[in-house]
Amino acid sequence: MWTRRAALASLLILNLAIACAMSGQSTPAGPAAVVAPQSKADAPVALPNKAGTLKFAVLGDFGTASKQQYQLAEQMDKLQQKFPYELVILVGDNLYGSERPQDFEQKFEIPYKPLLDRKVKFYASLGNHDDPNQSRYALFNMDAKRYYSFKGPKQSVKFLALESSYPEPEQIKWVEGELKGSNEDWKIPFFHHPLYSSGGRHGSDLRLRDTLEPLFVQHNVSVVFTGHDHFYERTKPQKGIVYFVAGSGGQLRSGDIDPKSPLTARGFDTDYAFMVCEIDGDQLYFNTISRSGQIVDSGIILRRQPPK
Amino acid sequence: MANSARTPAVGLFGAALAMAAGMAVAPARTHSGWDERAQPRGGVQQPAPKAQPADLQAKVFADFMERVKAYVAVHQKAEATLPPLPKEATPKQIDQSQRALGTLIQSARAGAQRGDIFTPEMTALVKRLLARVFAGSDGKQLRASIMDENVKPIAIKVNQRYPDEFPLTTMPPEVLQTLPKLPEGLEYRFVSEQLILLDPHAHIIADFIIDALPGK
Repeated sequence: MWTRRAALASLLILNLAIACAMSGQSTPAGPAAVVAPQSKADAPVALPNKAGTLKFAVLGDFGTASKQQYQLAEQMDKLQQKFPYELVILVGDNLYGSERPQDFEQKFEIPYKPLLDRKVKFYASLGNHDDPNQSRYALFNMDAKRYYSFKGPKQSVKFLALESSYPEPEQIKWVEGELKGSNEDWKIPFFHHPLYSSGGRHGSDLRLRDTLEPLFVQHNVSVVFTGHDHFYERTKPQKGIVYFVAGSGGQLRSGDIDPKSPLTARGFDTDYAFMVCEIDGDQLYFNTISRSGQIVDSGIILRRQPPK
Repeated sequence: MANSARTPAVGLFGAALAMAAGMAVAPARTHSGWDERAQPRGGVQQPAPKAQPADLQAKVFADFMERVKAYVAVHQKAEATLPPLPKEATPKQIDQSQRALGTLIQSARAGAQRGDIFTPEMTALVKRLLARVFAGSDGKQLRASIMDENVKPIAIKVNQRYPDEFPLTTMPPEVLQTLPKLPEGLEYRFVSEQLILLDPHAHIIADFIIDALPGK
């Protein structure tokens, strides 16, 4: 069912593109749009899953060493064998509590060993539970920096990992410089504290929003990944940008999403979840997968085009 | 590509330090000696804190930065005696390096007391500055963002290891813009209502101010 709907959505995009090309116009500026319907698929892989695309996963708030974290990690492993994502972006709270060597093993290295063995690279950002010294941990690929950027190994993508609990002025200037100087089509910030969230426990970080959102809007960011609230949420586009909260990788705050929130396009707070994404040109496909392997959200985000 | 190096202070404190040192700092946007970015937005304006003469403030800032520099020197001296931590380290290397550095700093500052870095003058000034930031309609929201997951009051001591189980508080941009820019190796955080100077590499509390967070 999902495949058919995705195919229809793709056809719609194609028709739009053809129409634009025939009229001599490029895709108009405007909000990033989620064009695929939300659906529950029978199989946990239905993205285009094409060669040459950038495939990655998103995981947050996971480092608990709990049974549930390990069960979700098993789903990540299973899925990677069908949908070979090559990197995972971590939206913070990578290790809860103590950070002794054995904690790195139990909260990260053991649950994700199959992925690490298959050379999947993890790129971390720091959450409020993370010791900044994690920036030197080789398997987090932070290059000893508390905020950093890197290019996707395929497609035209730049990721920006921010340290949202310490947004000192230098970091904000750096973000602006990175966004301004980037030639990549996709500029994807990821960090811990959500600018938009319908969580009752934490919710939107309005201070950070005031600082970062204008930069994201100005520099044509289409999608932002965050955590902190222990559930999954996709917002309706906010000033053209789709925000994800992917904070249920190892902690769950069941029933925390405000059911009346006007922000939510799709929320899921009854089980642990992670995301997989695939960038193919101007489209970002995403699936959100629960601990039981169900797709709890899916869709396609069209890249925002710079205004002419 | 990325950035973790810290640059010299700008803003109010940068301007004050520059004044003290006879330097020119162009980017500082000041208004009557206060950084405009630190102004509360909206709501009922609270009475402005009693202003100190600019030269007195500059002296307090300069003294604070000297004390910060002295701490950083202790940190660097201790660090120089340890094997350098590679950029891509194992958890064991990180843990050993952090604990060894912490022990060396604790030993070097064995007699350290509260107020060694945050002197009474600096403490009073920081409280006034924070009172200004937290005044107005946004103050409650600011405080809430800091107190998020910072609900457990705990007793802390200068020179102790930062408690492993205690998450780091979020520092709102307005607060960081208002306080003097710290060099690499020190940062501000709150523990309960206390503003601490944290050495994140050694995981050590270098100093702290009691009841620094306004709006209790």
